[in-house]
Amino acid sequence: MGNGLLKDIWVLSKRSVLTTLRSPFSFIPNLLISTFFLLVYDSGLSGISQLPAFEGANYLAFILPVSVVSAAIGGAGGAGQGIVKDIENGFFSRLLLTPASRLSIVLGPIIAGMLQLFVQTILILIVAFLMGLEVATGFLGVLVVLLLAVGWGLAFAGYSAGIALKTKNAQAAQAGTLIFFPLIFLSTTFVPYELIESSWLKVAATINPTTYIFESMRTVLIDGWKFWGIAKGIIAITIACAITITFAAVSAKKAVSRG
Amino acid sequence: MVKGTIYVEHLSKTFKKGNVQAVKDVSFAVEEGEFFAFLGPNGAGKSTTVQIVTTLISPSAGKVYVAEQDVLTNPKEVREHIGVALQETGIDPSLTGREMLHLQCRIFGFTNQQAKSRTNELLEVVQLSQAADRICGNYSGGMRRRLDLALTLVNKPKILFLDEPTTGLDPSNRKSIWDYLERLNKEEGTTIFLTTQYLEEADTLADRISIIDDGEIVATGTPQELKAQIGNDIIAMTFENEGEAEKAEAAITQHMPDADYVKNTTELNIYVQDGAKRLMEIVRLLDQQDLAAQTINVNTPTLDDIFLKITAEGERKRGEVEHG
Repeated sequence: MGNGLLKDIWVLSKRSVLTTLRSPFSFIPNLLISTFFLLVYDSGLSGISQLPAFEGANYLAFILPVSVVSAAIGGAGGAGQGIVKDIENGFFSRLLLTPASRLSIVLGPIIAGMLQLFVQTILILIVAFLMGLEVATGFLGVLVVLLLAVGWGLAFAGYSAGIALKTKNAQAAQAGTLIFFPLIFLSTTFVPYELIESSWLKVAATINPTTYIFESMRTVLIDGWKFWGIAKGIIAITIACAITITFAAVSAKKAVSRG
Repeated sequence: MVKGTIYVEHLSKTFKKGNVQAVKDVSFAVEEGEFFAFLGPNGAGKSTTVQIVTTLISPSAGKVYVAEQDVLTNPKEVREHIGVALQETGIDPSLTGREMLHLQCRIFGFTNQQAKSRTNELLEVVQLSQAADRICGNYSGGMRRRLDLALTLVNKPKILFLDEPTTGLDPSNRKSIWDYLERLNKEEGTTIFLTTQYLEEADTLADRISIIDDGEIVATGTPQELKAQIGNDIIAMTFENEGEAEKAEAAITQHMPDADYVKNTTELNIYVQDGAKRLMEIVRLLDQQDLAAQTINVNTPTLDDIFLKITAEGERKRGEVEHG
């Protein structure tokens, strides 16, 4: 009896996807907000791309990463919410009482969260193309944007799952998602780094890993294949994933077993 | 084939939070095919014990073997052989009953086909075939309990653990759960470990009962043995008010130091070997003290009585420790 790890992950991810689809209000608002960002910021702020610091970039391409990353972070937060719900309705204990690998129990909701934001990002990209987006690096570049979004989402899913498992509390998990705001807005959100006036925001933007994700995406969308610009985001994602997934795994171990 | 046995030796559990000692040096053994009940009030340590023997939490001290496996070193093997229904049902409310069962089957290694047929079989057993394709979130309490029970049976467990499986159920749902459990135990030979606050439940179902109070096992035996342990008879008296009952209690303590008794507001129960004979003695004693009981009965004991007596003794002991 019992399965290999991959079958456990497959079976439990499928269930998490089903659960997500059954409660569409867990992802529709997030998707709407992200699309709203894209429309409103582009309509309201596109004039500033005339400034020399933008180097002639199209503002739509500049603001698109904000929309994509906000969707990714919001969507990934769902992984933690899902785990809290499972803990609250006793289903999590039921899973722990089966021979399923402990890792698959935690990965199920995380993978479902990844799939969700993969679909979301594609939808946002479609909206952006309908609005007239042009990508410097073509189709491959769009794939890079998609992967960066999913990678950054994974890092955030690890964080939200970790909080959920550590606190086992819906309010705490919800409060944990508040980090969304500094992550998105204390960065080169609306204008390039050179145009940020206040020195504290400059410091914040330098520390904030999201800045490097934005930079990678903008490099691909606007500047073309420039190695260092793209690599920065990948490095930021790798480091963040290493930290948050470890955090999730450690919290899971404590929550799951036995203390 | 492993045997459906449970072996627990010197088990203790102290929760770091609040430094609560929930289980204190508990030992017991359950044979294959036995129906064993843990009987005790709320907070006695029943659920903690279940969570430890089913691998959910780790003990602070002691040894636990379930289905011949050490729960600490081989938890996965233990989980393959047991079915567990905790006090809270473990159901994802967004799935249908059929989906829940199918998922559980798949987790236990069934193929899609096997999972389908096992699911249908179990839906039939717990009479949920009609509601199988409805979302569990809309099930009634009794239906959730039945689905939860079906979920625990997916892997044909050697041992079934049930933590207060009928708490909060109406009599007809309770009766149907009892019937499933009896059938499983008698026909399939499944070892059953059940916790309950209901004496009637333990008395009806269990081959053997341990009474647990404040984290300790205070008595173990068959229902008959436990009833015999209490002494042959109970002299049950009620008084007009609590003051009278207290005076009677004092008189009994002073003049009949060998008698066991339990006082509960205006009631006083005295446990004696030879009820009819001691009755005269007690009546004379009350008379001397100018006390008159409103009612006096001589009864043979029920499990209720032993439960009351043992838990009351625990209370008294604890009271003495606290005050002394």
